[in-house]
Amino acid sequence: MQTTKDTTDQPRTVSELFDAFANATYTLGYRILRDSHLAEDVVQETFIKVIRSLPSYRGEGPIAGWIYRIGYREAIAISRRRRDEVTDPESATFATLPARESVEESVMTQDLLARLDAAMAELSEPVRATFTLRDIQGLSTKDVAGVLEISESAVKMRLARAREALRVQLKEYLE
Amino acid sequence: MTMTCDDLDLLLPEFLDGSLTTSQEEQAAVHLATCQQCTIEVNELEGVTKLYKEHGMLELPNEARQRIARALDIES
Repeated sequence: MQTTKDTTDQPRTVSELFDAFANATYTLGYRILRDSHLAEDVVQETFIKVIRSLPSYRGEGPIAGWIYRIGYREAIAISRRRRDEVTDPESATFATLPARESVEESVMTQDLLARLDAAMAELSEPVRATFTLRDIQGLSTKDVAGVLEISESAVKMRLARAREALRVQLKEYLE
Repeated sequence: MTMTCDDLDLLLPEFLDGSLTTSQEEQAAVHLATCQQCTIEVNELEGVTKLYKEHGMLELPNEARQRIARALDIES
């Protein structure tokens, strides 16, 4: 069984890493690509690379950042391939949202989630990736810069752009 | 030194991340106490991050989770 050590020096198996980061990797893939099947591909390809690279992973920085960086590169690679192919925009499959307690709550929540999804669609891919890592996944600005391999000031600029655009689009939910 | 709306606008990313210096924080608080427009804007921006923090995370569908775990030859 392959294991590694995270920054708190706890052994983590591939299975534990998958349980801990599958949803986060799926979220990153979906938020960038806006297609649930392609986001599933991001998860699978990311963890294939995690398994291959785990023996040589030296524990530089948090393991989350390492996995997110692989996931981000996979999503961008899939995005480039998709751009080169002739695709039908109607064929995109949207994410299945978590089940809610009551029908009424479910309808309200589905409406809100659809609005949040549509609002993010107006942002560019790099801005969506930055916003997802910082404001949805909760990484620090420094860690986001490390994952995306850009400067911290570029992260801040993208975040400001994302938050302002979303503020304008979602005004009715913010009052 | 008095902070203006433009000054606060430039510092908004740090303000929202809670990474202003103590002096900047104090100046921002003074400005916000007297500027309704900036207060509304800051509240709305905080609302955006709160909405996505609470609702932005997605779950990998169970069927896909099982399929990928099988493909990776791991248990999940």
